[in-house]
Amino acid sequence: MSERLQDGVSAGPEMGFFTDVTLCIGCKACEVACKQWNQLPSDGFALSGDSYDNTGRLSSTTWRHVAFVEQMDRETPEASRWMMMSDVCKHCTNAGCFEACPTGAIVRNEFDDVYVQPDVCNGCGYCVPSCPFGVVAVQQKSGVAQKCTLCYDRQKDGLEPACAKSCPTDSIQFGPVEELRAKAKARVAALRDQGREAHLYGVDGEETRDVGPLNAFFLIPDRPEVFNLPPKPVLPSKFQPEAYAVGLLAAMTMAVVGISVFRGFREESA
Amino acid sequence: MDPSTGSGQASEKPAQRHGTSYEAAGQFSPDAVAASMQRNDGGFGRGQDTYYDHPVLRKAHWRWEIVSYFFVGGAAAASAALASIAHLFGDAEDEALVRNGRYTALAGAALSSALLIKDLGRPERFLNMLRIFKLKSPMSVGVYALVTFATTSGFAAMEQARADGVISFDPFGWVPKRPRVAAHAVSSAFMACYTGVLLSATAIPVWYRGRRHIPAIFVLSGASTGCAVQNVLIGLSGGSARTSKKLETIEVLASLAEAALLLDYERAAGDPGKALFGGARGRKLKTYTLGLGIAVPALLSLPSVLSKRRPEKPHRLRTLITAACALVGGYVLRECVVYAGRDSADDPRAYLRHPE
Repeated sequence: MSERLQDGVSAGPEMGFFTDVTLCIGCKACEVACKQWNQLPSDGFALSGDSYDNTGRLSSTTWRHVAFVEQMDRETPEASRWMMMSDVCKHCTNAGCFEACPTGAIVRNEFDDVYVQPDVCNGCGYCVPSCPFGVVAVQQKSGVAQKCTLCYDRQKDGLEPACAKSCPTDSIQFGPVEELRAKAKARVAALRDQGREAHLYGVDGEETRDVGPLNAFFLIPDRPEVFNLPPKPVLPSKFQPEAYAVGLLAAMTMAVVGISVFRGFREESA
Repeated sequence: MDPSTGSGQASEKPAQRHGTSYEAAGQFSPDAVAASMQRNDGGFGRGQDTYYDHPVLRKAHWRWEIVSYFFVGGAAAASAALASIAHLFGDAEDEALVRNGRYTALAGAALSSALLIKDLGRPERFLNMLRIFKLKSPMSVGVYALVTFATTSGFAAMEQARADGVISFDPFGWVPKRPRVAAHAVSSAFMACYTGVLLSATAIPVWYRGRRHIPAIFVLSGASTGCAVQNVLIGLSGGSARTSKKLETIEVLASLAEAALLLDYERAAGDPGKALFGGARGRKLKTYTLGLGIAVPALLSLPSVLSKRRPEKPHRLRTLITAACALVGGYVLRECVVYAGRDSADDPRAYLRHPE
C-alpha cells in the first residue's frame, strides 16, 4: 500500500536492516562497500590490538563498523567464541538526534529512516550528545553531521543499501521491517533449537523502552554490553520537563529575591 | 616487533591526513594498544562488560566558544533582569544600574550570538535554525530565547539611549511597553536556564544525572556573575554605594544557593558524577568555583551586607576583587561542566551501568 505525499514521493513500507551476528564472518565488505558508495574517506591504517577491529567505532565517515568480540576460555577451549557484529545507525522510532535537531535537517524519510539533509545542517552538534547510541558525528571538513543514510539514494532507485548488497553471508539483510522481524524471530527459534544463545536487540526488549523499536535491529548471541549496545538507551528529551522546571523555578526565585532586596532598601530609606 | 612503537607511528597518520583530530586522535595510542594486548592475553573469558572499553557515546565538539557563550549569556540575562528590577522597584539612586544593565545586556546578547555562530560547523547557515521551531529541542528553544532576548535588549537599550540623549528619537518607541517588558523578562529567564537544560537533555550520564541541578546552578551562577559585572560598572560609573550594597546582597544569596546545589549535585550524580567532581577537574571546580568564586567573595562581602549602617561610598577595591573572583568562578564552572561531558561520553561504564 503506498500513500501519495507531496513532491511525488510515495510512502511505502518501513525499510530497515536485520543484522545477524551469528552469520557474520568479519570480512568487512560492508565497511568497504559503504565507504565506496557513499564516497567516504578512509580511516587511515592503524592497528588497534582489539582483535581484528582496526576501525574502532562508528564515526562521521564510518557508517558500518564490524566489531570483533573474542571470548577465550582457558579451561574449556572448545567453549571459546569469536563473534563479529556489523554495527550501524539504529534508525530509532523515537530518535534522539531527530528530536534534538534545531534546523530540521534531520528528517524521517519516506522509507521511515532517519536521514540528515547535508544541505540544511549547520553543524551545531547538538544531535551528537543526544544520540543514545553514539552514532551521529559532525565531520570537520564538511562541517555538518553525518551518519548512515540507509542508502537513501539507492533506495529511491529501488536498490538495496551497499552494505547489505555486499554481505556474502546475508548477515546483513535489508527489507521491509515487518518481514525482517518475522525472519529474525524464526532465526532465533531455530538457533535456540540447536541449543545456542540468541536474542533480538531492538525489536521488543527493554532496549526499546525509550527509543522504540529500531529499524536497524540485531540478533546477538550474548548480552548487549558485550557489543557496546546500551541495555537501556535513554531518549534525552525525557529529561527536559524536570530540567526546565528546575531552571525556571530558580530564575523566578532569583527575580523574587531581587525584587525583595530592592523594595527592602526602598522601605528602609523611606 | 614491539607493538607499542609499531602501531604508534601508524596511529598518527589518520588524524593528520584527514584533519579529524577529535575523530581519531588518541583512539589508537600506543598505550591503548599495549593495554589492549594485555587484556587479550588469552584469558579473556565470557562476561565482558564493555567492548574493549571503547566509548558508547559521542562527545559534543563544544569548546571555549560554548563555554564563553554559556558564561556571557548567563551574565547578560542577569544584567537585563537587574536593570528591569531596579527600574521597576528601585530608587532614583539606582539609575546608574538601570543604564549600565541595559547597555551590558545588549552587548552581552550580541557577544553571545557571535560566539554561538562561531561555534557552528557551518556558521553561514545560522539562520537555518530559524526556519522551524521545535519545543522538543532545547537548542531550538534556546535560539528563539536568544533572538527574543537580543531584540528586547535592543529595545531597552534604545529607550535608555533616548533618555540619555545619545539618540534624538527612539526608532522602536512605538513598540507597546507591556508586551516588550514581558517578552524581555520571559526571554531573560529562558536565556539564564536553557543552557542548563541543553546539557541535561542529552544522553551524557554526568549531564542527565544533573538535570535537577545544572539548570538552577547556571541560573544562580548567571545571577552572581551578573551582579559582579554590574557592581564593577557601578564603581566605575560613580553609582551609589547603596546600589552596590543591593547587588552584593543578591550576589551573596545567589552564590551560597549555588554552592549548596553544587554539593547536592555531587551527591545525586553518584558514580557517573566523577567526570565532574573527581580527579583534577573536581579539584579545579572546588578550588576556583566553590573557593575563589563563592567563598572568597561571600567572606569579603558579608560584613558590609550584614551591617546595618548606611554605606557612604562604594568600596572600589573590594568590589573589583570580589567581582574578579566571582567571574573566574563562574567561567570555571561552565568550563568544568561542559568538559566533564566529554569524559563522561568516553566512559562506557557510566552509561551502560547507570541508565535512567
